Amino acid sequence: MAMKVYINTKEIVIFDGARIQDAILAYSTVEWKKVINGEISIVDRFGNQTDPDGPIRDGQQFTLKNNTEL
Amino acid sequence: MKKINILLAIVLLFLFAGSNPASAQRKPLEIIILHTNDMHAKIDNMGKLAYLADSLRKSHEYVFLVAAGDNFTGNPVVDMVEDKGYPMIDLMNRCGFNVSAMGNHEFDLGQEKLNARMGQATFPFISCNIDASGATVKQPKPYMVLEAGKIRIPVLSVIQLGQNGLPDSHPSKLEGIKFTDGMLKVKEYTWLKDKYGVLIGLTHLGVEQDEPLAREMPQFDLIIGGHSHTTMSEPMMVNNVMIVQTGSGLKNVGKIILHIKHGKVIDTKYELIPMASIKNSDPVVQALINKYNDNQELNKVIAVAEADITGESELGSMMTDAITHRLKADFSFQNTGGIRVPAIPAGNISLKDVYRLDPFGNLVVLFKLNASEIKSLIRNSYNRSKQIDLEVSGMTYEIVLDQAGSCKDVIMLDLSGLSLDPAKEYTVGVNSYISASYTFDHRDPGNTTYTTCAQALIDYLGEVKKVNYKGVVRAKTGTSR
Repeated sequence: MAMKVYINTKEIVIFDGARIQDAILAYSTVEWKKVINGEISIVDRFGNQTDPDGPIRDGQQFTLKNNTEL
Repeated sequence: MKKINILLAIVLLFLFAGSNPASAQRKPLEIIILHTNDMHAKIDNMGKLAYLADSLRKSHEYVFLVAAGDNFTGNPVVDMVEDKGYPMIDLMNRCGFNVSAMGNHEFDLGQEKLNARMGQATFPFISCNIDASGATVKQPKPYMVLEAGKIRIPVLSVIQLGQNGLPDSHPSKLEGIKFTDGMLKVKEYTWLKDKYGVLIGLTHLGVEQDEPLAREMPQFDLIIGGHSHTTMSEPMMVNNVMIVQTGSGLKNVGKIILHIKHGKVIDTKYELIPMASIKNSDPVVQALINKYNDNQELNKVIAVAEADITGESELGSMMTDAITHRLKADFSFQNTGGIRVPAIPAGNISLKDVYRLDPFGNLVVLFKLNASEIKSLIRNSYNRSKQIDLEVSGMTYEIVLDQAGSCKDVIMLDLSGLSLDPAKEYTVGVNSYISASYTFDHRDPGNTTYTTCAQALIDYLGEVKKVNYKGVVRAKTGTSR
């Protein structure tokens, strides 16, 4: 089974059981490095910050935001 | 008349037994709930948590400490000891936890070990959508009732289910357990609100499901959530239900102050407290943390290297053999960037050696791939950096270069030296980093095994006991053709 999630509105198809970090890696390794370096944060559709090791569900939407925007 | 009065008194007593004594209360009762979720065995801040909880207990009569599940999995000093998970239970007991939700990662311990841990806990694990009547794990209660003087506060728990209808844990850990849709199951407990006037959800669903739960179940005064590793500096208010969560790894603790009057919650305050802001630590708990962190079991020898295991080819061959062996894959691949030590010297291999070699916690993901798809994985991996990037198990391969030095073809041979069958579908194991970030053709989206690559290697080495990878080269670059 695959899941579809959205990073910055881009659709990412990824394996069932993936974590947010897997989806961000699939989205962009450059952005993933920024997450690791603490430059950007992951925000869910409600505006909450989410840790990269969190699990994801089909259809979830995340936005990557510069920490200065938060 | 006297008989009638006595009868009336008995009837009234019966009617109000168990419910909150609303009418007698003049000023609101203040209740503090400290909450965490998804601690994932990160024990370093437990001393601070104990200090905070004890400080509040000294100045407030009713202080409760609750966890919204996933207490285990994520720290070798908790996960890799003989009594797997015990350090976490010991520390949670010392902190005075009152209750924990059952999270999906609780099952990672295995059902027998989970029973042992639940037996050692001085608090219950609860969940309403687990039927363990045909399983080894003990049946958790659906809810528990916190007692604050004469006020009783029911706490109802529910666990998430994935697309396969099971919590996110390896299916082998869930044998015999039936799970029902939590969103439906919780509705069978609306009577708790009718009876007690107050209802708290201690959920392990994730915020994406807590939100519709609050919409459908306004009976909840409060949902203390977990699973999605969401850090809420402000609570979410949905349908007048407060939803909170503290992130993961015990980086924060949530503090909720409930004021209850006439059996109803009349006011709720929430504060997210970063652990970094707490400067003191309970000395007894801190001493225990130090003891657990100095875990000699990580020095435990799990296998012997008969010769030095040197370089990406030898180390990667061992790592991929572990995946092939442990997850019953035909082939496995390991990216060289994920091999984090230059060598493992001949002699004893300890658990620490494995975690140094593979510190990332990547999960093994299995794909069904045909030969053409496998070739695309190898070709694209080579072309990322114009060098061998994937170590392999179950096969060998040779990169055929074009004049520009890019991979134009891959010669792949199985262990018998035969070309891969173009009509066959192979089970291929890769780590979650490769599956997410490498470009390759695959019709199968893959499936996580919920097993980390490090765990696969530990299991493999523990089984084979002796390894020798001297001179093993399975991937090489050929000449231009």
